[in-house]
Amino acid sequence: MSEDKIGLEEALDDLERIVAELEEGKLSLEESLSLFEKGMRLVGLCNAKLEFAEQKIESLTGDLPSDL
Amino acid sequence: MTRIFTVTELNERIMDRLENDPRLQDLWARGEISNFVYHRSGHRYFTLKDRDSQLPCVLFRTQGVRLDFEMKDGQNLLVFGDISVYKPQGRVQLLVRGVKLDFGLGFRHLEFEAVKKKLASEGLFDAERKKALPKYPERIGIVTSPDGAALRDVLRIIGYYPAQIILSPALVQGEGADASIALAVRALRGRTDIVIVCRGGGSAEDLWCFNSEIVARAIVECDSPVISAVGHETDVTIADFAADVRAATPTAAAELAVPNMDELRALIDLTQTRMVRALWSGLERKREHLEYLERCFSSRRMYSLVTESRQRLDYLEESLARAEMERLKLLRSRLQMAGAGLAAVGPAATLSRGYAIAKSTRGLILRAEDAKAGDVLELILAEGRLICQVLDIKKQK
Repeated sequence: MSEDKIGLEEALDDLERIVAELEEGKLSLEESLSLFEKGMRLVGLCNAKLEFAEQKIESLTGDLPSDL
Repeated sequence: MTRIFTVTELNERIMDRLENDPRLQDLWARGEISNFVYHRSGHRYFTLKDRDSQLPCVLFRTQGVRLDFEMKDGQNLLVFGDISVYKPQGRVQLLVRGVKLDFGLGFRHLEFEAVKKKLASEGLFDAERKKALPKYPERIGIVTSPDGAALRDVLRIIGYYPAQIILSPALVQGEGADASIALAVRALRGRTDIVIVCRGGGSAEDLWCFNSEIVARAIVECDSPVISAVGHETDVTIADFAADVRAATPTAAAELAVPNMDELRALIDLTQTRMVRALWSGLERKREHLEYLERCFSSRRMYSLVTESRQRLDYLEESLARAEMERLKLLRSRLQMAGAGLAAVGPAATLSRGYAIAKSTRGLILRAEDAKAGDVLELILAEGRLICQVLDIKKQK
């Protein structure tokens, strides 16, 4: 799945794994850096999801009260 | 005998009949209040009912002054009084003289318990059936009235949490509400990660539809986890038992359904910080290791390695020399001892008794044939030597 398609949950789970792996400190420098870059992309992705969110409501019957 | 009554006469006869029947006087009755009216006059009018039947009741002001609670619809009562007939309307009613709240099981309560027991016996409320709520739902279904405050409470809490909200409208009170709720829950099948079934506060009567078996079954059969939130904290319905999680209010339900945005942002920030810190400390560790290695190869360290080796070499050299000397000394003393021994068995003593040793250039002469005529021989005497020439050879016979 391409990175910008993944959901918030998956992104956060991935981030959690990346942090754990980095904190374990067993990786080579190159591996650490590439993992770090991936993590930062995910952070940006999560932030974007939260920043640009607006309430999206639909009704199964089609009508929504005008005050929503 | 045919007698034609006037209405008044007939009602009087009914009245006479009922009001003089001791079985209909001084009696206790149990039921639920509805249509309660507290009249200006101070009289209280209400209907006492159970599942299948109802009876008008009156509590006159004089009888009601000692009442120690507020009467209202939905209460279960025990009433004491007499059956009478209200002649102007020909209406049979109970003239109430005493009222107690009935804390026993009202018929509604019995029905509630029956449904609950039935569904529980099917295992529908079992803990192992409960689905866990997703941490970050992306599609949130809401079953409620589009016009209710409950929906607005839920939407306010969800706020800008990034999810698709799908409203599945339902009637949440009155005739057909239970079927409407069940249908609305089923309509969300396959469309959501979590479903909130909710309704704001109301009378027990209003909330009753959430105690229906079909609503409970629809909730249990829902393919995503369901949070129920019906009425207030104290209202517990069958739907709550069927749901995966019961929330006290619609607001609480929404708080359970989505993570708090501030906490979520803080979590992401923290993750970022941890990641940067982990990367730096990884780099730091590698740098330290490098420095350590560097120190190992420093010129001073190399110089001291050389000095050390040289010292070691000197020491070895010295030891070797000492060992060699020892060996020589040993050899020398062995030689002296051997010399003394040889002297004891040597020829000097024999020569001094008059013997001589004859030698040619080929070695010792022991037999005549060891020499030839004309050979120059050396004769070693006890003192000095003679150089002689062989004139003739006489071999022993």
